[in-house]
Amino acid sequence: MNLKRRLGSISLALLNHGPALALIAIVLLFTIADNAFGSGSFFSGRNARVIINSAALVAVPALGMTLIIIAGGIDLSAGTALTLSGTALAIAFRDYTIDAQAAGAGTWIALALLGGLGVGVLCGLLNGIIISVTEMVPFIVTLGTMTIFLGLGQVIADESTVYPQTEHLPDWLRYLCYTGSNEERYWIPFLPIPSSGLIAILLGGLVAALLRLTVFGRNIVAVGSSPSTARLCGIRVGATTVWVYALAGIFVAVGALLYFANVKNGNPSDGTGKELEIIAAVVLGGGSLSGGRGSVSGTLVGALIIKTISSGCTMLSIPNTYTHIIIGVIIIVAVLIDGLRNGTPAWLFNRLGRRAD
Amino acid sequence: MPAFVSRCHAIATSLCLTAFLLLPSGCSRDSNSSADATQSVLRIAVIPKGTSHEFWKSVHFGAQKAAKELGNVEVIWRGPVVESDTGSQIEVVKDMITIGVDGIVLAPNQKGGLVDPVQEAIGEGIPVVIFDSGLDDGPEIVSYVATDNYIGGQMAAEAMAKAIDEKGNVILLRYIAGSESTEQRENGFLDRIADYPDITVVSSDQYAGDNATSAKEKADQLLQLHGDSLAGIFAVCEPNANGTLEAIKNAGLAGKVKFIGFDPSDALIGALGNGHCHGIVLQDPVQMGYQSVMTIVDYINGESAEEFQSTGEYLATPENMDEELYQRLLHPPTIE
Amino acid sequence: MLEVSGIAKRFGATVALDRVSLAAERGRVLALIGENGAGKSTLLKVLSGAHQSDSGTMSLDGQPFLPHSPMDARRRGVAIVYQELTLAPDLSVEDNLLLGQPGTGMGMLFRSRQRERIGEALRQVGLPHLDPKARTGDQSIATQQLIEIARALATDARLILFDEPTSSLPAADVDRLFQLIDDLRRKGLAIIYISHFLEEVRRIADDYAVLRDGHSVGSGQLEQISDEQIISLMVGRDVTDLFPTVSHTIGDPRLQVRKLSGSPIPSDVSFELRRGEIFGLAGLVGAGRTELLRCLFGLRPARDGTVLLEGRPLPNSVGRRKQWGLGLLSEDRKTEGLAQNLSIIENLAMGNHGRYSRLGWLNLAARSRDCQRWMRRVEVKAENGQQCVDELSGGNQQKVAFARLLAQDAEVYLLDEPTKGIDVGTKSEIYRMMGELAAAGKTLVFVSSYLPELLAVCDTIGVMARGRLTEVRPAAEWNEEDLMTAAVATPAASEETEFA
Repeated sequence: MNLKRRLGSISLALLNHGPALALIAIVLLFTIADNAFGSGSFFSGRNARVIINSAALVAVPALGMTLIIIAGGIDLSAGTALTLSGTALAIAFRDYTIDAQAAGAGTWIALALLGGLGVGVLCGLLNGIIISVTEMVPFIVTLGTMTIFLGLGQVIADESTVYPQTEHLPDWLRYLCYTGSNEERYWIPFLPIPSSGLIAILLGGLVAALLRLTVFGRNIVAVGSSPSTARLCGIRVGATTVWVYALAGIFVAVGALLYFANVKNGNPSDGTGKELEIIAAVVLGGGSLSGGRGSVSGTLVGALIIKTISSGCTMLSIPNTYTHIIIGVIIIVAVLIDGLRNGTPAWLFNRLGRRAD
Repeated sequence: MPAFVSRCHAIATSLCLTAFLLLPSGCSRDSNSSADATQSVLRIAVIPKGTSHEFWKSVHFGAQKAAKELGNVEVIWRGPVVESDTGSQIEVVKDMITIGVDGIVLAPNQKGGLVDPVQEAIGEGIPVVIFDSGLDDGPEIVSYVATDNYIGGQMAAEAMAKAIDEKGNVILLRYIAGSESTEQRENGFLDRIADYPDITVVSSDQYAGDNATSAKEKADQLLQLHGDSLAGIFAVCEPNANGTLEAIKNAGLAGKVKFIGFDPSDALIGALGNGHCHGIVLQDPVQMGYQSVMTIVDYINGESAEEFQSTGEYLATPENMDEELYQRLLHPPTIE
Repeated sequence: MLEVSGIAKRFGATVALDRVSLAAERGRVLALIGENGAGKSTLLKVLSGAHQSDSGTMSLDGQPFLPHSPMDARRRGVAIVYQELTLAPDLSVEDNLLLGQPGTGMGMLFRSRQRERIGEALRQVGLPHLDPKARTGDQSIATQQLIEIARALATDARLILFDEPTSSLPAADVDRLFQLIDDLRRKGLAIIYISHFLEEVRRIADDYAVLRDGHSVGSGQLEQISDEQIISLMVGRDVTDLFPTVSHTIGDPRLQVRKLSGSPIPSDVSFELRRGEIFGLAGLVGAGRTELLRCLFGLRPARDGTVLLEGRPLPNSVGRRKQWGLGLLSEDRKTEGLAQNLSIIENLAMGNHGRYSRLGWLNLAARSRDCQRWMRRVEVKAENGQQCVDELSGGNQQKVAFARLLAQDAEVYLLDEPTKGIDVGTKSEIYRMMGELAAAGKTLVFVSSYLPELLAVCDTIGVMARGRLTEVRPAAEWNEEDLMTAAVATPAASEETEFA
């Protein structure tokens, strides 16, 4: 009886630590399994780099998605907006024909990056304006813009993949997603963390500060928690929504830069399906699709969880198809566990709670 | 209570992130250890463009055949599910580097995007053989083992010319942009077909996409547009040809519009038998898998290899399709 | 008939009920009285099977009664009529009555057999002519409430629990409801009736049971106890003065409203407010009082008219009006007044963040310090400022909402039903704070449907009917009858001239 009680209270306590514990558990599980059945290389510095890099590709746009979800919205167009922006970048680097080392290349590169950023922000702005002006449901609006952005990307890319000349890419951009053992290609010489990961952490810090420490951040939380209360308190709900989506556009654009640095080309149709991975990262991190709840650290960990699972499955030679099933199950279980913190579903919560008493 | 919870949450999160960040510095020596020569079994990663098409299963068969003959080779077979998913293929290559395989045999699904991962593999001391589809210049690969797709394209053009009596309108339905192997076929076809003055290529700028459904959609549209005056269609790969065949049947043009495909499938072989299809250019995927693995193992054992190795290209027609050689190529063995 | 003894219920660390006992008898109405947060709702949920008690015993007609679900409780003849309507608005009346009916076997609905029972139930609640096929959402609130009761009757309930049924009803419908309860009592049903209004309790109930902080603190026959005694049982101390008055003097004119019209209400409203004045607005639900406040605050567009503050026309947006010193307390605390899933501090600071920031960056320490100060000022009972507001009782929630206006440093307070659904003790504190604000020279508009508080607290009272402000008099010149008469009167101006 006593043991039972203790188990109950432990299980409730565990719920409160959420995604981070889940990540630790998953890493442990795969490490053990990999040492037993696999090549033993899962728990290695190199694999950590690979996982951090692929997680960063999801995490950066997911930071923008975190803001949107906290503000009570959703953005299904994130995936195609990302590849649209990436395609624009690829076109800029294809059509400019000076080597990256040549004089004057710096200005051009800066312009190309600004162009890519602009495309991302415009996509977000468009979403935000349509949502706040028409007062339609974000799900529907972004479902529409999702295919619009896909189409736009195909138009500017002539329905194919855009290949820039590799010599035209500056080295720092080429090696944003580098995960090899040449330490000179990392930003911090003695600490080989992929640059993409550093960008994700840096941006994560900024978003966390924005949410916690700025008036705008608190207004986002207010709007997402209860739009009518926010309106009562004099917060301009429509304007806040527009800015949130525009801001998320920046993260989509930075995500596009990383995507471009990773695959070195722009394919507008690559983005379909990415939005779900992005949303999954936010949800795994404790984001609530009903608004008002979500955390930056949670989102970063969520992205790591997804990529750790897929990496671990590769190491253990588990087929792709099962990887998808595992990730799906984990998302549902994670959200269920998260719900228990707030007492839903009641039947399960009461059982745990009674034991904990 | 909430304050306490959120603090615990923050602590746990930061612990976790720190653990991950410290890993690289702590364990970076691990990565090269498995490449030691003390290992008796050679682990060779064979990475196809995708895992769901028949063609790759035959490649897998050939790779296994080589492994069995050699005895001390283990084939690790892994690839993205969808052929257009460059990001996933990059991840697979990186994962294989992490595992520390002894050699990588790769069919890059984009000639540019895979350059850096291949470079990374070579940088970690893992030799790479490219097969089926080419890679942009740069990395010092061991060898490129493939069908000579340009010649394959030319063979398709010749078969087409023969089928339509060297005159009329034809369509070239492309695969997806950036796929080296199919681009070569497309170029070979266009170059050779230009030698026939009475043949006009009415469309050669449409991409069918990486699955039969999108190919059928594209072909439907093209048949709608050119159907009445059309003499022939060339579809440059298997999913593309399957979709196109469906579209031709739907439009009621089967047999009237001459149809040349590339790579076999049950539907195409059936069509070859009943006159809906007039030629299939064949490659030898089993040989491709076999030869790639043989090449990389030879290289690891200190032998050099040719820069380019062709695995041959063949044309199956309604007339020759029952011969033994063509039966083997039309129904290549696969691994389930 | 129902005997409850020693019931305890805990949620985590919170003790909601502790050693609660009461007894309800056939043919009598038991009034369950207590401040918000005293545990009435939890007790109700335990009785109806929505929660299970941790310890204690309950029996119904001498049989042990431990319902494990609301369905189980209904099967045993215990039904509940909730404060908030629980009908599905899109279903027909009949479908709603059938929802949760026991004995429908295998999930099949045998309508013909049940239609008779439904007709009988509707007759009993005085709705014999209601079309069972009508959409429920189209019925008036009062009718919906009666449908809820009919639903209880249709299940052959022997014990009906009423959870503050009159809080959303106009006076005439309250009479009808009481008539109905009286009929049910005569038929031998046992009734448990929860209410904040002692007048109501006196009118309808025979016995009382008082809960405070989850304990039973007294019970007996109503004839043997005075209102003052009940109140002191509820709050645990003597409340000698329910309506504390703070002397304040009325100063210069501040807010002028001229011919203000919305679409469609309010229509053509003009009045003037002065410094240090508490202006009451009486009227029926739907008379346009809420709409008038929202027009003034900018949450509803005004079609016509001008509003001058200190002689200058008000700006358009809510945000600017707030800066000018207007503040609105919403009547809908749950969905508008407060963001239920945020902490007390977040709610207090919402929209006031500009006060704790430089260039958009917050000073969290200053925010926390200031919010704690306001929490102390209004005496919010909470663990700390980080506590989520949905864990607070109604009265404490209202204090948080009120404190936000104080933190905003508003000059003109637009208070829409500030005492709705809160306990007597908190009510009294809110009256006192209103008086203090007036004494500090603020201007207050006080909308209420509870006439005694309007008469006791206000300096001036206006009555609204059908969107118009029909009559304004000093509070001393009004009494309850006159206010009621004015509220139900049809305004002199006809609809045609209004839209001409």
